[in-house]
Amino acid sequence: MIHAENIRAGYGDVEILHGVSFSLKSNENISIIGPNGCGKTTLLRTLAGTLPFSGKILLDGQNVKNFKKKVLAGKVSMLSQSTQIYFNYTVYDTVMMGRYIHEKDGIFRKVSSEDKSMVQKAMEATGVDQIYNREINALSGGQLQRVLLAKVIAQDPDIILLDEPTNHLDLSYQVELIRFLKKWSKRTEKSVIGVLHDMNLAMMLTDRVLLMNHGRIEADGSCRDIFGSELLNSVYKMNVSAYMVDSLEKWKNIARR
Amino acid sequence: MKNAKRFIILILLCILSLTAAVGIGSIAIDPGDTLKVIAGKLFHIRFSNPVDDTIASILLKTRIPRALLAFVSGAGLAVSGVMMQSVLQNPLASSFTLGVSSGAALGASFVIVLNITFLGFLTLPVFGLTAGIITVFLSLGVAVKVDKGLHNNSIILTGMAFSMFANAMITILMSVSKENMQRLVFWQMGSFSMRTPRDFWMILPFVLIGTIIAMICSRQMDIMTLGDEQAQTSGVDVQKMKWLLLSLGAVLTGAIVSVAGVIGFVDLFTPHVARRLFGAAHKYVIPASALLGGLFMVICDLLARTVVSPLEIPVGAITAVVGAPFFIYLFLNKRERKVK
Repeated sequence: MIHAENIRAGYGDVEILHGVSFSLKSNENISIIGPNGCGKTTLLRTLAGTLPFSGKILLDGQNVKNFKKKVLAGKVSMLSQSTQIYFNYTVYDTVMMGRYIHEKDGIFRKVSSEDKSMVQKAMEATGVDQIYNREINALSGGQLQRVLLAKVIAQDPDIILLDEPTNHLDLSYQVELIRFLKKWSKRTEKSVIGVLHDMNLAMMLTDRVLLMNHGRIEADGSCRDIFGSELLNSVYKMNVSAYMVDSLEKWKNIARR
Repeated sequence: MKNAKRFIILILLCILSLTAAVGIGSIAIDPGDTLKVIAGKLFHIRFSNPVDDTIASILLKTRIPRALLAFVSGAGLAVSGVMMQSVLQNPLASSFTLGVSSGAALGASFVIVLNITFLGFLTLPVFGLTAGIITVFLSLGVAVKVDKGLHNNSIILTGMAFSMFANAMITILMSVSKENMQRLVFWQMGSFSMRTPRDFWMILPFVLIGTIIAMICSRQMDIMTLGDEQAQTSGVDVQKMKWLLLSLGAVLTGAIVSVAGVIGFVDLFTPHVARRLFGAAHKYVIPASALLGGLFMVICDLLARTVVSPLEIPVGAITAVVGAPFFIYLFLNKRERKVK
């Protein structure tokens, strides 16, 4: 589905990605992990077509540079990190924006029944259907994050890119969101690529992990291989598995009480 | 109340304000006489008791063109404000942010100070419009040089720098050309006095075409308010839309400023009122802002020429004096809008 080869990208004259290559099969999910500043978000932005790059990205065998914006948005969409929105759209109107690529052009276009149905399903899936008429600039960060996720789901792309999607969400919504995305990708046979700092959530979402450091992919493998590797400790400059086990022991003690 | 009803009320208020603006003045004119003159002019109808020639002349040469010019200027500035705010995702953005108004004012100031007349009556508008557009393109050009992604903060910062530069140049022109200072000051504050029907016909196409293009782009403008990245991954060609809409806003404002002078606040204030009344969707906000901007400008111009009659206050001062408290009131009374 995606084949990325020797991707170099950055901001201005500063190169962040120094030749990244990887492939993603249809109906496969990937978590991208790595320390701050290692290029995770830059890689997502490049795949989403919002950053110029050198190298080659093929989507379903076609070069993304040849895609029109609307066509690309039908294949890949992205939920960015928190966004400040100043305008008073309702939750419903915001989720409906996800249907832009499916809408007919024109000032007096009518909303199709399919658009309405997709928006309703996306709102229900993310739990924002009860607040459909609230204005988004009055929502909490977590609520806004779920509305923007509903918009991405309503867009119905082949691949959803998630940049730290659990930001602003409380623990139960974090788990709920990841479970939902896993089910969604299985049911629709679509893919999710998620940048996640929480390794438990990464393990919950995907079987495959890309470990990034200094703008390169240091390792590409299963959760089992990557999370148990010495490389993970050296990239994060700490003993990650020892920390996780220590936390687990503490939780076990609490649970035993 | 549904938006259709709100639009009907707004249109009626616009008609009422135009009627008042035409009727009120040093000579009070009956609305019936106004109707007769308009019907006579448009449909060549002859009435048994015709309107006095002096009244008809005042109506056709002064009052009606002035009211219509005020209306389309207000409408155009408001539509330009909507575009600037949506594209830059900044509720405080306006034509001033990109330096259009200051650039147009600088161009017109050069015409006044250097007494340039080679294009006849078109000299001032052409120079003003060109200078306004050049300022925006310079500002966007520098922004793109600094930041290839053309992010909004870069656009706003370079726009502000150009705006301040143009204002400083105007101040220098005023200080070296004291004989023109009063004219320059008055022109910088905006006014519809001494304008002719020609001025109205000159800016009408800009406002009409600008509003129609903005309406065609209304869906993209909706999505762009979520941020550049969200808009791009939703399928909007953000860079193309930014160039199109900011240039359109510049042309619209430049055309109006070059005819009526610098009039602030309408472009900042009316889009907010429109969003409060009609929701944020641009297919409503654009026409609602146009009507509200026109209505507001007609009322302000009426106040400008009647409050201390026979003296006239610059309309730009009135728009700020009336608009600022109302703007603050709106934000203090921000309420949630329930829609179906």
